[in-house]
Parts: sequence; structure tokens; C-alpha cells
Amino acid sequence: PSGPGGVAVPRAGLKKLALPPDYSGITFPEKPKLKFLDKVPAVPKVRREPRRLRDIRGPSQVATDFTQGQYGILALGGGYLHWGHLEMIRLTIGRSMDPKSMFAVWRVPAPSKAVTRKSLGHRMGGGKGPVERYVTPVKSGRLVVEVGGRCEFGEVRPFLTRVAQKLPFPAVAVSRESLAEMRREEEEKRLGNQNPWTFERVVASNMLGMRKYLSPYDLRLKGRYWGKFFLKHRV
Amino acid sequence: AAATKMAALGGGGTRWRRAWLPALQLLRRGSKAVTRHWKAMHFQRQKLLALTEFVPPRAAVPPRCLPRPAAHTHQEDGLALVLRRRLEETLRGSRMVAVCQYNSMADEDMATLRHYLRKHHIRVEFVLSEVARPVLAQSKYRNLLPLFVCRNVLLVSPETRAREMLRVLKAVPQVNLLGACIDDTILSRQGVENLARLPPLEVSQGQTVAALSLPSSQTSSLLQRGPAHLVALLDEHIRRLREAAGPTEPPPG
Repeated sequence: PSGPGGVAVPRAGLKKLALPPDYSGITFPEKPKLKFLDKVPAVPKVRREPRRLRDIRGPSQVATDFTQGQYGILALGGGYLHWGHLEMIRLTIGRSMDPKSMFAVWRVPAPSKAVTRKSLGHRMGGGKGPVERYVTPVKSGRLVVEVGGRCEFGEVRPFLTRVAQKLPFPAVAVSRESLAEMRREEEEKRLGNQNPWTFERVVASNMLGMRKYLSPYDLRLKGRYWGKFFLKHRV
Repeated sequence: AAATKMAALGGGGTRWRRAWLPALQLLRRGSKAVTRHWKAMHFQRQKLLALTEFVPPRAAVPPRCLPRPAAHTHQEDGLALVLRRRLEETLRGSRMVAVCQYNSMADEDMATLRHYLRKHHIRVEFVLSEVARPVLAQSKYRNLLPLFVCRNVLLVSPETRAREMLRVLKAVPQVNLLGACIDDTILSRQGVENLARLPPLEVSQGQTVAALSLPSSQTSSLLQRGPAHLVALLDEHIRRLREAAGPTEPPPG
């Protein structure tokens, strides 16, 4: 607003008071902090298992949605979490959260897959190496931890992003709303794509004999995954 | 090794007759499907990915050529509604509404000012322009709108005590009178001062009555002048006669 002579007149507006957030439907678990996960399972595996890298490849079918908490860390790529990572997550979240008003829950089991490694400097051969450590496989689209309680996303996001940056795969801190928004955008993109040629269509009908150069898994993965990587920009 | 593998699979015949499984052949060299590094893609696959990229939808008319969508009218705040209603009530029930400019002053000074004005039945109201502007624009005080600049204070009263108000405000330099609307008359600062200098209502009423009745009283006195003069003359005569007869007459025993 301008007063006489074109001078800007300062004007104080009415204070818009927002309602405080409603935390009525939140139930706290018995122990708010993250449980300690063992380095080695209680019954260590005797028989060394094959590598089975398909547990990293592709989208996750388990733990894709929120159960107890409101905020969490979403994995945007595949990888293995070992005890060091899990301890880092447990301690960082335990240090940064307030146990009276927040709680955290694991969405990832304790390490159970035995990963072997041969000693350095030896030639190939001589059998499979001994078990070096135990890991948990994580596929893209899976939640790693969930945090909830009487808190806002803005309070939780700093330490969740810090944890997410230290994980061996790309990860991002999400809330229920932001995850729903991500899914909705993805769906919109898929439906609003003006390109008549989609990877799915070409692979399904084997146009130009493309399946010679693609894997049978590409029928399922539809060009959005390459190895353990999740290609976010692909439709 | 290749030949034995082919023999095991298809049994007899050259490669071109049987379906050739690429999976086995290509796995002889190169890494597995899932690697830590970004595995190099086959060129055909790269071409396919380049072909099947996302193409965003484009509107036939670019959105910046279309008229701007109506700005989202903000929801009416409950507090604003309450304040507006209060202001409307106040304006309805007041005969004098004075608009003053308010500069910040100490709380206790403000309290003293309020106290003194309260004694003369004048209420001090702080108004927010956001709330006051629409209310005033629709009421009969719309000509006072240009006065509502920066922080304003309204002095409202059911009576019109301009003199006391000016006296109190003169003592407070932080509150300056800008204008007033008294009895549906818009007055500037000089107008209010002139109003204050006027005599009170009863006195002016008496004066008006006197002024109105002056010609009739003059006429009546004019008419009575002749007989009054005669009466005065006769009285004077009687008095003189009495004085003359007085010293000669003995006082009655």
C-alpha cells in the first residue's frame, strides 16, 4: 500500500494462528530407542551360502510402507547393510532423538546372510573363502528405519538425512505424506508420458529383437533398475 | 568348450539352426548382472533407453499465454471476523469517532491516558487496518479512510465531549488527532478545536431562544412605552405632591 506522495506505508497484518498438530492416534512401543542388533546370528551358519545377488536387484516387495511411525529412511538403491552400518544408525538416531516424545523402529532384520572373502594376495582356486561377516540385503524402495511420535518432519529430517547419506546405497528421509507424494508423481509421470515408445512395450513385444540384448529380468524391471542401481529419472 | 556346450544343449546341428541362448555365451566373459560399479550397457540397450525416455506433456497453449488464474481467496480468519464485528458494534453505538495517530509510548502512560479518557466516557480502541478498512468502507465513515495510515487509534464515545478530549490529548504528544466524525459531521483538527470552543448546548439553546424572542420582546416594550411613560410621570407627580404636602401637614397623632 502506498500513502501520499507514493511513499510505501508499512502495514501490520493480523497474526494468523495455526492449530497445533494432533498427535491423538500415536501409540508408543515399550522401548522407544532402536533395539541392538547382533553382528552374528545366534546360530552362526555352518554351510557357506552362494552369493545370490538377486536379493539386491530390483524393487523391494517387503517393508515398502509405513507401519508404526510417521517418518523414515527410504532406500533408493540396493545394497548390503552390515553391523557397522546398523550400529551407526542405532547410535546416531539414539543420540539425536528425544526418547520421551519420539520412538524409532527397525524395518530391517538383523544380519543373517553370510558373506565370504578370500584372503588377499592369493591366486584363484582353493575353495570358497571363510565367512567374513554377516549382512542384511536391502532392495530399493524399502524402508530401513521408522521414526514416529509427537514430532514434526522438520525436527526429524536433519538427523535422518545425515544417517541416509552414510548408508552404502542412496537413501532419503521421507514422511508418510512425502512418500505418497513421490508415488503419486511417479504415477502421474507414467500416465502423462507423451512418448509412444516405452521400455515395457518394446520388451514385452520384443520389438526389433531387443530381447537379445536385454535380460529376461528386464521384463519385470522395465528399464528402471540396472544392477543394484535404481534409475530415478526413468519413467 | 563352446562346441561341447552347444552339443549338450541342442544336440547336433549348427548354431544357426538352433535357438542360441545368449545368457551362457556372454557369461564366459564380463561381470555378473549385479555389480558394485556401474556396469557398461550394451549399445543397443543404451539406444533403447535413449528412445524410451520420458517426454513431458506440453499444453497446446503455453500456460504463460493464458490469463492468470484467480488468486486463491484466503479463508476468513475467525479472529478477523470477531474483531470486525466488535468494530462494527462500536461504530454503531457511538456519536463521536476521533481518528488519531499513535506513536509508541510507555505502557503506564497509555494506561493513564485511557483512565483519563474513560472518566469522560471516551473509549480508546486500537484498530488494525486489515480489519478496519473493509468495515469503514461499508459504513458511513468511508471518508475517514484516507486517515488510516500507519498505526491508528480510535477514540469513540456516545457523548460529544470534544473539549475534554482535546485537553487530555494536548498533554500527550504521542497521540495526534487527525480527524473526527462527530454527530455525522466530518471535522478536521481545526474543526474539532472550534467545536470545543463553542458554548455548551443549554447555553446556546438559551441564546437561540433569546435571539428568536428578541423582536417580539422589543415590540411589546415599544407598545408599552407610551403608557409606561405616563405611569412614570404620574408617579413622579404624586411623589412631588406628597413631598410638598408633607412638611406642611402635621403628622397624624
